Amino acid sequence: MRSADLHIEGVKHEAIEVARNRLMVPAFLFVLGFGILVVRLVSIGIFEDISDQITHARPVTTEIVQERVDILDRNGVVLATNLSAPSLAVRPRLITEPEETADKIVAVLPDLNRTSVLNKLKSSHHFLYIKRNLTPKQVWRINALGYPGLILEQAEKRIYPQGNLASHVLGYVDVENRPQAGVEKFFNDHLSNTVRSNDPLYLSLDIRVQHIVRQELAFAMNKFSAIGGAGMVMDINSGEILAMTSLPDFDGNGSVQPASSEMKNRNILEPYEMGSGFKVFTIAMALDSGTVTLNDAFDATEPLKVGRRTINDDHAKERILNVPEIFTFSSNIGSSLIIREVGVEQQKNYLQKFGMFEKTVVELTGLSRPILPAHWGEIQSMTVSYGHGIAVTPLHLVTGISAMINGGRLIPATLIRKDTAPDNDYYPQVISSETSQKMRHLMRLAVEYGSGGRAHVKGYLVGGKTGTAEKVVNGKYSRQDKITSFVGAFPMDNPKYVVFAMLDEPKGIEETFYKATGGWVAAPVVGEIIKKIGPLLGVLPKEYIETKYHNLILVDAGK
Amino acid sequence: MMAGRLQGRRQSKSVFQKLSELNIFIVVVVIMIAMVGFVLLYSVAGGSVDPWAKRQIIRFVIGMFGMVVIAVIDIRVWMFLAYPFYFLSLILLIIVSVMGQTGMGATRWINLGFMNLQPSELMKIALILALARYYHCMTKEESGQYRRLIVPILLIAAPVALVVMQPDLGTSLLIIAGGVAILFCGGARLWLFIVGLMAIIPTAIGAWSFMKPYQQDRVLTFLNPERDPLGAGYHSIQAKIAVGSGGVYGKGFIQGSQSQLNFLPEKQTDFIFTVLAEEFGLMGGVMLLGLYMILLAYALIVCMSVRSQFGRLLSFGMAVTFFLYMFINIAMNLGMVPVVGVPLPLVSYGGSAMLTLLVGIGFVLCAAIHRDTTISRGGAFA
Repeated sequence: MRSADLHIEGVKHEAIEVARNRLMVPAFLFVLGFGILVVRLVSIGIFEDISDQITHARPVTTEIVQERVDILDRNGVVLATNLSAPSLAVRPRLITEPEETADKIVAVLPDLNRTSVLNKLKSSHHFLYIKRNLTPKQVWRINALGYPGLILEQAEKRIYPQGNLASHVLGYVDVENRPQAGVEKFFNDHLSNTVRSNDPLYLSLDIRVQHIVRQELAFAMNKFSAIGGAGMVMDINSGEILAMTSLPDFDGNGSVQPASSEMKNRNILEPYEMGSGFKVFTIAMALDSGTVTLNDAFDATEPLKVGRRTINDDHAKERILNVPEIFTFSSNIGSSLIIREVGVEQQKNYLQKFGMFEKTVVELTGLSRPILPAHWGEIQSMTVSYGHGIAVTPLHLVTGISAMINGGRLIPATLIRKDTAPDNDYYPQVISSETSQKMRHLMRLAVEYGSGGRAHVKGYLVGGKTGTAEKVVNGKYSRQDKITSFVGAFPMDNPKYVVFAMLDEPKGIEETFYKATGGWVAAPVVGEIIKKIGPLLGVLPKEYIETKYHNLILVDAGK
Repeated sequence: MMAGRLQGRRQSKSVFQKLSELNIFIVVVVIMIAMVGFVLLYSVAGGSVDPWAKRQIIRFVIGMFGMVVIAVIDIRVWMFLAYPFYFLSLILLIIVSVMGQTGMGATRWINLGFMNLQPSELMKIALILALARYYHCMTKEESGQYRRLIVPILLIAAPVALVVMQPDLGTSLLIIAGGVAILFCGGARLWLFIVGLMAIIPTAIGAWSFMKPYQQDRVLTFLNPERDPLGAGYHSIQAKIAVGSGGVYGKGFIQGSQSQLNFLPEKQTDFIFTVLAEEFGLMGGVMLLGLYMILLAYALIVCMSVRSQFGRLLSFGMAVTFFLYMFINIAMNLGMVPVVGVPLPLVSYGGSAMLTLLVGIGFVLCAAIHRDTTISRGGAFA
């Protein structure tokens, strides 16, 4: 071994010594590292309480939060819900090739105008909507274009799967989901606050009943060339409205705003003179106040002259009529004579109790006040007794008639499903239950022997009262333009539902001998409705039951 | 073993003699660690060798073969091949970078047919070999000279630059750490490291604290692009729950709800330690740590006893790399460091990393077998 080698060996040995010494540092770090890991492992494995973290770290499946709550009918059929329908918007600053981009957008959405799209793409605005409510396929294709300046904004479109069917009850929302009418507007605070509750809103409507009412009403409207119609079915024991339709109506899914004639809900929006339907109230108040009994009779042989006015009967019997006959044959003279016995003040008190002086109560906006006589003297009292000179909405009438036959309780109408049985004592007793019993029989008589005969349905013991009134046109009564209505109920031995139908300006046809009265026009509509909804609502058909007071009716040759 | 040692320091031993000198105990420890991996991969597949355990076993067998081959080849051959091997790795890295630019996205591997070769993994080994060779040829005075730092810094910087470009900052940091560790042991001036540490830590902390949360998030995402798509911290929270719910003895084989019910993402790769801790508890975790400790202690003992500087630094470099893998991965599993894509050595599913580590252990065993071999400065066969 040479000395140079030795020298090198020695020098290298020094380097090796350095390495050995310095090895202590990493060795120490290794031990430290292991120590840290073991301590941490033990502390997590044994000491750390992880129960909090487990609950916090559970994977979250977020609930779908809609923009608006669904609306369902009483059986859970969807009346209003939401579809995801994103909107296409643009941030013009991020668009580099507006021409090309516009071409491609129009290729995907051919109903857009290329020039207007191009103007939006070139505009100096920050953000502009191009189109709302894109379909999933359109969304996919817009995304596939891949322009960063095009924004697909998450949005929901309110849809009404039943179309026109319950349009006046539901109302509609505009493109910004702002409610414009109906339950949508009345319950907007609830419907739009999906964070508080996403539970659907159950209406009292039964969409099957709604459909039948609308169909029958539309049929009659067409048949008699009427300009409008209204129809309702109400549960008299709870005030729940099972159907409310007004024609013409609209489709809330449409993107155009409905015309004002379509928007009009005739059930609540306009007061009409109800004509003879009001005789129900007149007879009820006379019986309830004890002014007359069913056996009392009044002289209706001649037209009644009161001041300058003469009161006539349409189907004049020209004889003395007892109270059931006055009601059944719809004698204006008879009811005027009866109300003279009752008196103006008593009449006003009763009508007020029946809810005819105030707006009705229901969960809709735009409810009308009744139009009352400015001066309420004896003459006005007499015309009001047969439904002239006073105008109320159909809902007033239906709510009031319900009280006449449900045992005497005035139950406010509602469009919301009642899940609990109504408390009898909660609602005001406006007539005695005995009077109410008598009214059931009288209404049955009017269908059996009187003007409401065409509302007869075998097995359902229909009762009711026709109404025909001249329409007020430009402040004058028009002999041509009539409002004809029928308010019926069934089954009269234990009434459950009130059914109302009204036609605006029906024209008589050959079949009706060119008559357009409530008995000819509206009564058959109610009859058809009852025939169809009776089985649907679980009302069992019955054997014919003879009405208690039928022996009081003298069916003479004049009938 | 005694017979081998008595045969003289400068004589080459036969392959069989070398094989008989192979430290069977360490080989058994390596197999035991890998078996922990097989068991866990079998478990996370819901009690099936498919899709992971079977392939992992095959790779391990191939890797073990390579490890033994490396161990018995004369250490001077490796020293001779150190620079060529380094430059080959560098070229492969450049090729991958070029391909990565022409192709779509980041390409980090070359398809060899039977496996995907990651040049950055190769580089971890090659850099240690090259640096060990560089410092082998140096006296103490020389290694302390500043101009002698130029070459090693270039050796480190070249691959780091390429790997950063991929971009894979995590791997570059591992390469730097391995390289700097050899510089340290090789004899570079101590104050350089002290000053370096003192400069880096406050700078990093300062920069970090001045960053806004979203910027910090971006840095972490840059460190590991695949990080945590479900929201920051999801991995580590789930992992901590798993470790915590395992308790002392664990929930039992294939019984871990966190691992079996897919709460843990990447459970077969980076988060496999969590599966171990959940199903086998504290005992399982400590046992694995014990096996790792034995392996690393052995590597350090080899460092102390090897006569050649090359063998010492080689063994040391491998030990540091192994330790960093293990420490970062387990610390990440225990929620102590941010989620970075570092596998658990020999346990996580994946071919490249396992091969790298087995090759590394091969070099440690090689240094041990040739502990009495002295090598001249030039690296020629003596």
